[in-house]
Amino acid sequence: MLLLITIISFLIMRLAPGDPTQMYLDPKMGAQDIIQIRKNFGLDDPLPIQYIKWLKNAAQGNLGYSYSTGKPVLTAILERLPATLILSISSLICILLIACPIGLYIGSHRNQWPDHIITIVSLIAMAMPAFWVGLMLILFFSLKLDLFPTSGYLNPMLSDAPILTKITDIAYHLVLPLTTTVIGGIAGLIRYNRFNVIAILSQDYIQAARARGIGEGTILLKHAFKNASLPIITILGLSLPDLIGGSLVIEYIFSWPGMGQLGIAAVFQRDYPILMGTVLFTSILILIGNRLADLAYRWVDPRIR
Amino acid sequence: MKVTNYLITALLGLTLLITGCSKSQNTNSPKTLYTNIGGEPTILNPILSTDVPSSEITGLVFNGLFRVDINMSIVPDLVSTYSVSEDGRIYTFKLHQNIKWHDGKPFTAEDVQFTFDKILDLKTNTVRRSNLIVAGKPVQFKVVDAYTLTATLAEPDAPFLSNISIGILPKHILQNQDINIATFNRQPIGTGPFKFQKWETGQYITLTKNLNYYKEGPKLDRIVAKIIPDTNTALVALEKQEIDSGKIPYKDLEKYQNNTKINVFEFEDLMYTYMAFNLKNPKFKDIKVRQAIAHAIDKKSMTDKILKGHGRPAHIPAAPVSWSYPNNPTFPIFEYNPTQSAKLLDEAGWKLNPTTKIREKNGQKLSFTLITNQGNQDRERSAQIIQQYLAAVGIQMNIQLMEWSSFVKRINEPRDPKNFDAVMLGWALGIDPDSTSIWHSSEYPKGFNFIAYNNPKVDALLDQGRKTIDQFQRKAVYNKLYTQIASDVPYVFLYYPNVITGINKRVKGLSPAGPTGLFNPIENITIEP
Repeated sequence: MLLLITIISFLIMRLAPGDPTQMYLDPKMGAQDIIQIRKNFGLDDPLPIQYIKWLKNAAQGNLGYSYSTGKPVLTAILERLPATLILSISSLICILLIACPIGLYIGSHRNQWPDHIITIVSLIAMAMPAFWVGLMLILFFSLKLDLFPTSGYLNPMLSDAPILTKITDIAYHLVLPLTTTVIGGIAGLIRYNRFNVIAILSQDYIQAARARGIGEGTILLKHAFKNASLPIITILGLSLPDLIGGSLVIEYIFSWPGMGQLGIAAVFQRDYPILMGTVLFTSILILIGNRLADLAYRWVDPRIR
Repeated sequence: MKVTNYLITALLGLTLLITGCSKSQNTNSPKTLYTNIGGEPTILNPILSTDVPSSEITGLVFNGLFRVDINMSIVPDLVSTYSVSEDGRIYTFKLHQNIKWHDGKPFTAEDVQFTFDKILDLKTNTVRRSNLIVAGKPVQFKVVDAYTLTATLAEPDAPFLSNISIGILPKHILQNQDINIATFNRQPIGTGPFKFQKWETGQYITLTKNLNYYKEGPKLDRIVAKIIPDTNTALVALEKQEIDSGKIPYKDLEKYQNNTKINVFEFEDLMYTYMAFNLKNPKFKDIKVRQAIAHAIDKKSMTDKILKGHGRPAHIPAAPVSWSYPNNPTFPIFEYNPTQSAKLLDEAGWKLNPTTKIREKNGQKLSFTLITNQGNQDRERSAQIIQQYLAAVGIQMNIQLMEWSSFVKRINEPRDPKNFDAVMLGWALGIDPDSTSIWHSSEYPKGFNFIAYNNPKVDALLDQGRKTIDQFQRKAVYNKLYTQIASDVPYVFLYYPNVITGINKRVKGLSPAGPTGLFNPIENITIEP
């Protein structure tokens, strides 16, 4: 499976016009030198040979070196992973913590005024592009109110500070990018959750439970919520690769040192080793994500075996 | 109601989180300069890097044999004195004797030879090898003693000193390593005014003052070079004084001109924007068509629209700030003159078809496609304006925007003829005015003469310009060169964009604004609390 993924992505990558040495348009550089660099990278070899060379090294745990930075690919990926994970996991938690209860609430109080308001607000939130929300947050909370830094991850002055100070500082820098991500991600999930709750509440077993005199709150949390969470698990399983993929827009606006910038830069620079490294990483995570989702199904719903 | 309680708690927690960690401690030490390098540097090795963020850092960590002063002259740096033989082929360099690498080891002529040998080594992935090849032969560097070194050239070469002003690398660290992937490239050790301290990927690079600098050291204690890729965010960061310097877009200039915390500087740079014709295309082979296009474009009004007046129209391939720019112009200027343009096209046999409003010759429409790179709004808008000007004289110009890498492949691909009609681009020129790589016929199809420009007179002038060492005589050669190129209209030269920089008022010791920056030399820069 992984082998197939790498072959296909290798081919797609090489179908894109241009190559890593054809980046330079600068009269101060020599055209002959560019041809020599191409040779040094082994880009003149036939494609299958290049792929086999890559595969051989990858099988031995050597993902190669970035063409543009000369850095080992694994290092390049791993050093950007923490920032990405901090942002993506915390935003996932926030989104779940906010979206599930709201979805449950408006699903059970369908067509009442909170439902309408939340529906309108979440549609607006969905329609706002992340780069705009991010900039507005910077302008308002950072420039106007001076509550948060405009961008960054850790104050350079605190690089040798005790771990607790560092965590506080990162959390402080995290607020604006996190808010931007949550605003963008929450709306869809609320809508999804609301719909599920409505569908489940109209089922017979809920009516039966009501008939048995079980309280409305218990019905909602015990009976409806568990079933409504099934589709959410599917979504979560599928979004696991996004967790490490990072969000380019958010990272770019807030100078957040995550994976998104690495991947996009690699695409534009045709940095093949980095691209193959990220593809390999992501595909492994997709496989794991699907597996985890399957396991979670079984745990939530004993009918699935 | 349980749910509502839960909801309130969640929201309350979030607000607590937000307000709880606001207002961090202000730990700015008084002598720290905060800059923005705008992007992640690729590689902190002066002979390998090709990007601006990298060279901004290596320029502080390394010294070259020579450096560029504020007048854009090449002045000695690591070299104390030097002499040139009568025939202009052999240079003898005496080095300063009191220089130490940041790790304490002494700097010697061995390091210099090592650096240039590495550039000439075919295994090194550098684009600077051809700088050290003169008349087809590599320059021979030879160590005479620990602080003396000679360089032998096949023939006199005027750009030579500027070409060897690149940062010198320490031999004792790199000699047994693969320079392309060495960890040195991420933890550089140089002889420069600042020592490399830390590089946090995607965040910042910190440099500290070199206490053992060979001349008067910097007044700053450290530099934090932040990596803020988004220009809007960087602008807010400048306004909030999180960084001390930043580029200001033309449209935002007014807002910052009267800012109490920021000084604004505007200067001309060594670059020009142009539209180039593929001269192998039958339509553009006729000089009258090229002249007609040049006459059809109102450069002045275009400059005002695109650059909002922060720049000026260009007529030759050299920037007015360069010493090589002619004092008494003899080059032709193609004034905006649609009537003249129409006349030239008529003479060339392209007659206006009254129904389509497009000129035709032998049943073929006068139509072509201009390609340019995506993401450069000034260029995209310039292309649209030119499209309208050309439509007015009966020329149909289509615009195609391309992703950078595909775009470069299209024009740089070493094939003949090349697969494009016309391109819009800008050239950032070097300190030395030699432009063999752009105009010499030997630079086609491999090289930056991608338009297949071929004029033996220009080739001869370019060669002569390289061989003439005296600046006064050289200037006369370039005056002839520019006049010849401008008369041939291989490009329509469009404009020279100015650069606008904002600097925090607390930063003192700035040099006069110019292409070599405001921090030249960095040693003079200081911070007033």
